[in-house]
Amino acid sequence: MSSASAPAVASPAIARPWVVAKFGGTSVSTRPRWETIARIAAAHHARGRNVLVVVSALSGITDMLKRIAEARADTAKCREAQVGIVERHVALLRELELPSRNALDGWLARLDQLVVDPRRTSAALDWQAQTYALGELMSSALGVAFLGTQGLEARWLDAREHLLAQPLANQGAWARHLSANVPAVPDPAFAAALAARGEVFITQGFIARDGDGGTVLLGRGGSDTSAGYFGAMLKAECVEIWTDVPGMFSANPRVVPDARLLARLDYEEAQEIATTGAKVLHPRSLGPLRRAGVPLVIKDTNRPQLAGTEIRAVAADAAPCVKAISARKGVTLVSMETIGMWQQVGFLADVFAEFKRHGLSVDLIGSAETNVTVSLDPTENLVDSDVLSALATDLAKICRVKVIAPCAAITLVGRGMRAQLHRLSGVLAEFGALDVHLISQSSNNLNLTFVVDESLADDLIPRLHALLIRADALRVEDGAVFGPSWRELGEPAATPRESWWRRERDALLKLAGEASPRYVYSLDAVRGQARALRALGAVDRWHYALKANPHPAILRALHEEGFAFECVSLAEVEAVRTALPQLAAERILFTPNFAPRDEYAAALALGVRVTLDALHPLQHWGELFEGRELHLRVDLGSGRGHHDKVRTGGDASKFGVALDQVDAFRALARERGARITGLHAHLGSGILDAGHWRSVYGQLASLAEGFSRIESLDIGGGLGVPSRPDERALDLAALGESLAEVKRAYPQFALWMEPGRYLVADAGVLLARVTQTKRKGGVHYVGVDTGMNSLIRPALYDAWHEIVNLSRLDEAPATMVQVVGPICESGDVLGANRRLPDCREGDVLLVAQAGAYGAAMASHYNLREPAPEVAL
Amino acid sequence: MTTATDPRSARAFRFVRRGHADGVVELTYAFDDGDELVERIVFPDAPAIDPARAQAFDAALDLLHFVAGVSYYKAGVPDELRVETRQPDAPTAAFLDALYLHGLGEFAYHNKLDLRGRIRFPPQAPPTGAAVVGAAEAAIGGSKGIAASAAPTESTSPRRTLVPIGGGKDSLVSVEMLKAAGVDATAVWVGNSPLIAACAARTGLPLLNIRRELSPLLFEYNKQGAYNGHIPVTAINSAILAVAAVLYGYDEIAFSNERSASSATLEYDGQPVNHQWSKGWEFERGFHERLHALVSPALDYYSLLRPLSELAVAERFARTARYDDVFSSCNRNFRILGPKPADRWCGQCPKCHFVFLALSAFMPKPRLLAIFGRNLLDDEALAPAFDALMEYRDHKPFECVGEGGESRAAMHALAQRAEWREDALVARFADEVLPQLDAASLALAPLLAPAGETRIPAALLPFVEGARAEDRPTDALR
Repeated sequence: MSSASAPAVASPAIARPWVVAKFGGTSVSTRPRWETIARIAAAHHARGRNVLVVVSALSGITDMLKRIAEARADTAKCREAQVGIVERHVALLRELELPSRNALDGWLARLDQLVVDPRRTSAALDWQAQTYALGELMSSALGVAFLGTQGLEARWLDAREHLLAQPLANQGAWARHLSANVPAVPDPAFAAALAARGEVFITQGFIARDGDGGTVLLGRGGSDTSAGYFGAMLKAECVEIWTDVPGMFSANPRVVPDARLLARLDYEEAQEIATTGAKVLHPRSLGPLRRAGVPLVIKDTNRPQLAGTEIRAVAADAAPCVKAISARKGVTLVSMETIGMWQQVGFLADVFAEFKRHGLSVDLIGSAETNVTVSLDPTENLVDSDVLSALATDLAKICRVKVIAPCAAITLVGRGMRAQLHRLSGVLAEFGALDVHLISQSSNNLNLTFVVDESLADDLIPRLHALLIRADALRVEDGAVFGPSWRELGEPAATPRESWWRRERDALLKLAGEASPRYVYSLDAVRGQARALRALGAVDRWHYALKANPHPAILRALHEEGFAFECVSLAEVEAVRTALPQLAAERILFTPNFAPRDEYAAALALGVRVTLDALHPLQHWGELFEGRELHLRVDLGSGRGHHDKVRTGGDASKFGVALDQVDAFRALARERGARITGLHAHLGSGILDAGHWRSVYGQLASLAEGFSRIESLDIGGGLGVPSRPDERALDLAALGESLAEVKRAYPQFALWMEPGRYLVADAGVLLARVTQTKRKGGVHYVGVDTGMNSLIRPALYDAWHEIVNLSRLDEAPATMVQVVGPICESGDVLGANRRLPDCREGDVLLVAQAGAYGAAMASHYNLREPAPEVAL
Repeated sequence: MTTATDPRSARAFRFVRRGHADGVVELTYAFDDGDELVERIVFPDAPAIDPARAQAFDAALDLLHFVAGVSYYKAGVPDELRVETRQPDAPTAAFLDALYLHGLGEFAYHNKLDLRGRIRFPPQAPPTGAAVVGAAEAAIGGSKGIAASAAPTESTSPRRTLVPIGGGKDSLVSVEMLKAAGVDATAVWVGNSPLIAACAARTGLPLLNIRRELSPLLFEYNKQGAYNGHIPVTAINSAILAVAAVLYGYDEIAFSNERSASSATLEYDGQPVNHQWSKGWEFERGFHERLHALVSPALDYYSLLRPLSELAVAERFARTARYDDVFSSCNRNFRILGPKPADRWCGQCPKCHFVFLALSAFMPKPRLLAIFGRNLLDDEALAPAFDALMEYRDHKPFECVGEGGESRAAMHALAQRAEWREDALVARFADEVLPQLDAASLALAPLLAPAGETRIPAALLPFVEGARAEDRPTDALR
């Protein structure tokens, strides 16, 4: 060795800090992804850091290696998997333009050996570990070669030389080989020795060695775990987990698009979130890092500029706050009742001994004097074997056992949970109507868990997330803790919706000058919405649900746009006929609820289409329906929507015929010679999830097949209109696609829909003048000349309407105010906590999205006239 | 379109013509002189018809034309059936008479019709030269009946099997049996159902999806009040698959109808009514005979599950979890695959109740509850529904569900199991129903034994009757 080259090898006067960067399967499967790895590693290196890159196998490879194990005697299947593995790696090698196959061929030869190894047909555990390890060994070998071609000299490190697994007490052979543990603590000697060998390394996730020098695996999420071990041993400056998502979120973003990125968590919170639902990080990786005090950051490979989620020790000044809500499904509860022995000594010990004996790990526990209830997570063992049956049999010898399943455990995670209970009243109220099987709160004060029926979880989580924000328990405005929402991250270029009333400001101010308050409607806006809906091919007939706004100008505009009409009272039918005297009666759908007999008689006499939603009319007024065509409104049984009072499904809702009474309804209709030609369901309002109607449509269609003469399926309305600026609009294209899919399966039925609010909400505004302003303590009030007598939605549904000062539209928002009306009700608040420019008496405030259920629900309460209407 | 006649006042139902071009079969019918009803069946990527099989194909097409006519005939049930194509021979006419009469049994019951003596396919007149020859028959180019047309197709290649998939547990059990036996099988289904497509894809077999378009005029008739109701759809699908078998070169059609499909659902006016007659043994035997006589003696038609009870099928289904998250036996006939169990299982119909009960006896409780998304046996409101399944205080519902004895035995098995016996309906059974039953009649094992007539090829029998398949390999890293 010449002295000239010595400085390049090592001059460790000051030890360079270490960064450990882990990349998962998809991050190592293509050339662009490897270029990203090279860029990230080079950037760290250029900042004076030593870098250890930990990689997983190429995506799908571990599964293919497993197929070799599962093939057993099936040599063809085994060969097929092997060929697939070779092809994937050779293809990547070519894509990376590596000059030689040397890096790969050694490992492929090893795979050949393992395939013909006699241990294969019995899938011996040591053989499995050696075989599965090849995925990481090959990806890391390719990576080293590629980084070299990119001018970054990286060294290949065999993880097995440094990670020594230690068997645990009671650990079975399976876990010792395939889910091993490594006691990883800071090891300055190892760090120094490594630094002496180089500055950039690539090693394998997932693999380690045992005391005999054999290969072992680290189990599920093993690459994260490897990164955690190496991070702790090197006492790295930071461990980076590079993945395909921006970090951890306040809820599963696929269920709650409004979930917020969690910018900072402490180890314990992150562990809790990872354990109770989040898949982005395996919780096992955090333990060694916490003990070593090494921070971990989750970063998005596609968007490295995002800060991601940083996990470190708890900050001294951390205020109690809910960080996340998660749901685990497939939970099984075992409820055990003592058999009449008060204060039975050793009951709990006996009970838990049985769980241990059957190898079942208990998660949540709730106990009372005579009952103890525990939860079991959905392990393979529980679902695939008879272990639960065996456990129950043994438990039944000492207590009464009841197995309650399938359940979902819904967990709120955050430090200092008990200090926040007072804020959670709205959240807890949501559980009030449900059957909560178990509540658990750990003494570490990091979680609060409710166990409910699994079928409730999907609808519940988004509602609870919204309620937590509203209750100020999930303090999303704290930028240090919460990042942007999933939705915002997905649509970085989301432009604020352009409102027609901004363009018409002058005309609106003039109108308000003539008279105040008043409702103003834009018929162009109504037509725009109507055309957007009509462009959805799958729907054969659109109805306007005129309860949203029966203004004659709107009825005429929608008639011109090809809409039929849905009425819920005889007076609404009359309103349509008055506005549109030429309209054919069959274009009117009469869908009342608990209407008196004479309304049905009158509607039938007019020839409009009548929908029944109870047995009563056929039972008691059967002669009215003799030989008639009827539509039947059914209750598909699961209510949903943005507020209790607009949910119209389920036993607690007064709408529709329950599914178990449909046969009785048909029999009554048959007796009267009435033909059921349409089925209708409407389960709620304000729904922004396009999949909802697909499910209603699919369910109605499958129900309709049992009938003889169904021609049309009316899947209702409830098309959501986003109110807050950050809410995403309903994806009409997705809606159209999902409806078309159902239509292909059931082409024999015409599809009808009947939106109301969607057509008119944005088309209407309420103009009101400022009457007085007031300050009480820190609270500023702005009073206007109308309130809940004109617009009751904020008071009735907690609806949020955008409010602007139209007179000062260009001025910057100044004070946080409460916009209130003149009605003698403390609930007469049009908008709480709004930041507006300073308002003066006479200013014109505009309440947006007031076209639906505004004037239609107005009253003369306090004998104050509601705002009159004008259509542009 | 001219004004449609009311099928109910028609004098005759006409088999007008049938044809085939480029994989599209057209079946044409009419009531009297009314507009033609044209059904289209589309066979994807259909090969040109092998001349050696042309006669067999024609015969299969005739049979399909006759069988599929039942969908349209039922709109009016006129007194005369007029065949304007080749006349069926006497045994075929008798077979069709039985199919129309029994296959429309439930339809007749619901519409308060008596079809006895009303359905008479005109058998082919003896070949004396005096026979009436229809125009279409002349076009086909032969005055001979179809009975004589078939010649055995010699085949030395391995036999290929069509296995129809319905999305429910039964056909998936058949698929697994055929796979275990190493049979060269293709999963086939008729219609556009994403749920069935998902099940079929999960089988791992080659797939064949046949499209069927009913005549739109039938819907028009229905709108105007034509008779409507249950039809023997399995018979129609069988006839479609017979055409497919000849077209694509298959040797066997393996349906998945079990033993109890042969028993009557109820008696009506002295006549047994079977909701699923075309899934029964009588149809299977008759249809097989017709195929052999008319189409090809080398084409076999059988039901793989025929010797098994519903419970035995459930036991076999429970052996693999492969289909847990895609299948549905719910009578609501969900065709759309949704992400949630409630998108596949309504939980309200007798099929849901029975399949839940039948599977409960053979699979771990958490797995079953994950499939259904709820525990139907812990819902007090369903007590009358399960009483009906057990034929306790009520008759058997009009559905394809097992026999009362099977439900009672399954419930009895649950009452012995600690993880089930505190559930509301199991506890109720033990307290209320069990004391009234003869304990000796409640054993599960006798119900699981294969029994009864079957036409299953001998080579497959061990796989149908067989004990549990060898244990699956351990799954190390799931």
